[in-house]
Amino acid sequence: MKKISSVMVFALTMLLFVSVVGAQTIELTYWTHTDDNRTMIENRYIEEFEKMYPNVKIKRVVNEASKMGDLILTAFSANNAPDLFNLPIEQEYGYMIHQRLAPVNYAAVGYKDAQELIDNYQEGTFDPISMDGVIYGMPLELTNWSIYINDRVFRDAGLDPDKDWPRTWEEMADISEKLTLRDGEVVLRRGFDFRYPYYLVSVLPMVEQLGGKLISDDGKTAIVNEAAWTQVLEFMRDWGPHGRNLGSPTYPAPRKIWNKDNNDMGMCLSGYYQQGRLKIDNPEFHASNEWRVVPFPVFENAVNDVRASYYGHYLVVNAQTPKNKQEWAWKFIAYMLDNPWEYLETVQILQPRKDLLEDQAFMELPYMDVFMSDMSKSHAVFLHENGYQFERFIGDAVEGVMLAGEPVDRALKTLKTRIQEVLDDVY
Amino acid sequence: MRKRGFSMEQKKARWGWIFVTPALILFSIFSFYPIFTAFYTSFYNKNLLSLRPPRYIGWANYQYLFTSQEFRESVINTAVFTAGTFVPLVVFSLILAAFIMSINKFQRFFQMAFYAPAVLSSVVAALIWLLIFDPRGIANQGLNTMLGTSGVNYHWLSKAGMLRLSTIIVYFWKYIGYFTIVFVSGIGSIPYTLHEAALIDGTNRWQNFWYITFPLLKPTTLLVSVMALIQCLKTFSTQYLFSSSGAPTRPINVITLNIYNTAIKDYRIGRASAMSILLFLVMFLFTWLQLKVSKTEEVTYM
Repeated sequence: MKKISSVMVFALTMLLFVSVVGAQTIELTYWTHTDDNRTMIENRYIEEFEKMYPNVKIKRVVNEASKMGDLILTAFSANNAPDLFNLPIEQEYGYMIHQRLAPVNYAAVGYKDAQELIDNYQEGTFDPISMDGVIYGMPLELTNWSIYINDRVFRDAGLDPDKDWPRTWEEMADISEKLTLRDGEVVLRRGFDFRYPYYLVSVLPMVEQLGGKLISDDGKTAIVNEAAWTQVLEFMRDWGPHGRNLGSPTYPAPRKIWNKDNNDMGMCLSGYYQQGRLKIDNPEFHASNEWRVVPFPVFENAVNDVRASYYGHYLVVNAQTPKNKQEWAWKFIAYMLDNPWEYLETVQILQPRKDLLEDQAFMELPYMDVFMSDMSKSHAVFLHENGYQFERFIGDAVEGVMLAGEPVDRALKTLKTRIQEVLDDVY
Repeated sequence: MRKRGFSMEQKKARWGWIFVTPALILFSIFSFYPIFTAFYTSFYNKNLLSLRPPRYIGWANYQYLFTSQEFRESVINTAVFTAGTFVPLVVFSLILAAFIMSINKFQRFFQMAFYAPAVLSSVVAALIWLLIFDPRGIANQGLNTMLGTSGVNYHWLSKAGMLRLSTIIVYFWKYIGYFTIVFVSGIGSIPYTLHEAALIDGTNRWQNFWYITFPLLKPTTLLVSVMALIQCLKTFSTQYLFSSSGAPTRPINVITLNIYNTAIKDYRIGRASAMSILLFLVMFLFTWLQLKVSKTEEVTYM
């Protein structure tokens, strides 16, 4: 009997010990998208952070970028979302509107208040992730796109890349025509092609160049300036296989094949990070001085000098995570983001902290002047609770006129009706 | 006093219940519960992201669907896909099964060869076919060779009609082997003595198939047609992957893809639930009709 009692007391003591130790351990789950370079440095940050704070354990889960939105949404609807994560701001915006994100803990990220945090970054950095004066995320990366050119392809087509690069969309179509190689109707080499799924980032600014808008300033009317929309849809129709046959959404993504330098892609649309990926995919081409970056074009009859919108990935914390874990999550985020130079040099992503941007070495990075000049003429990507849905509707219109032979006026009418229906439901 | 016991039939029935209970429990959790939840949710305006309680709106989601152009297009797309896939699937799987059973050698090889695509995940299958249908892929090259043309792009992934045909081809290729195997086992279960008797009576191979095999295969044909119909109505991954890879969505926006976009991209889980209930009712109706029609023609081997 005495023996049994001793065993029970021992077991209970152990249970209590395990419970106390377990209660003190903070386990954070961090979901992010694939990027080998970032994984390398962030795994090191995690190791260092866990060494500094042995009571904190961080589990970093990597998902395909294209699947992240679905996975995070499903996890939230099942009340099983990660403690911290990042998504493109177009998707994160809905989470902020629906109060799924925890406000930034200014003390935990090392600032006195919101103003001190804002002052430390480039103007406007926190606008997309703020609501009613409260900030809900820290910038992991801010990206804008310009045009990457393969000089060899230009020369192969008898063009001089120093002089003949496209300044306007009309020139872009004409130069692409010269660069395109075909076997009958089948395109073997494209001069340039768009990044089709990302219509809010690069196609909507083309509409804005012509004075159009997706919705009116009061947020109640869909499609402002139909003439601007018509011109862009006609341009896309002419670009497609039933027009000048310069490209199509059904061909492989230009950004990926441009890196290969296989004489099948002259130009592509991408951000500064492309240089890091190029260095990994094709170091010989990266080091060759046979490529360059030029500004995002504008239409000849543009009324606004607007370039491709910049978008961002913000690190955010789940509002349903317990408060003490939220504080540790913000501390960890601040620890990672205290290395903007390493993110820039290793991952080629820009965290717009003023000390980085004001560094002389920053502007001397290859073609950074082009990206920063384009960014100064652009604005944050269109944000709306239903922005994701609107992007799909724009995609249907563009793909309808380019591929399915849908008349431009009908595609525009359908687009307007669909967006208006959503707006009428929201307001 | 005589002890009252269970009869043999009652004992059998009790054991029957014991054996099917685990399956019923699993079925209730993973099938009935989601169906009832979807039915309940379909009466609410619920945003998948919102923490606010859902708002009861009665039949409004259903009323919206009956006036929605997008939903109408989805119904048409699903009907076109089902009609284009279901009939060839049933007919050709029967023909292939009859062929396999009629040869003496390589039966196993053909069964394996036809069944192989069914083992592949739908995602992998769609990715393989995306390469084939690429403008520079072998679909264009093959058609150009066959038709004696050069450099013609047949727009497998862009023109509405061709795009629909592409999804039908992928689905047909993926599932033909599966239904062929079902027919093979159906043909194999017909007693050989019936064929022997017919042969003695002087029938040729065609008459043997048409007057012996085909009528006795009715239960298998019914099973295959019900399964194929439900599979076709549920099609999703091919359309999803094609539209994610740049193909225009509208011609292949089948009901399941519309449900996915409405729930996951637009966060409208109430409306998506209403769509899934309507799809469920359609599948239920077709299955019931097929069972009803076939009931009068049950087969017994004398």
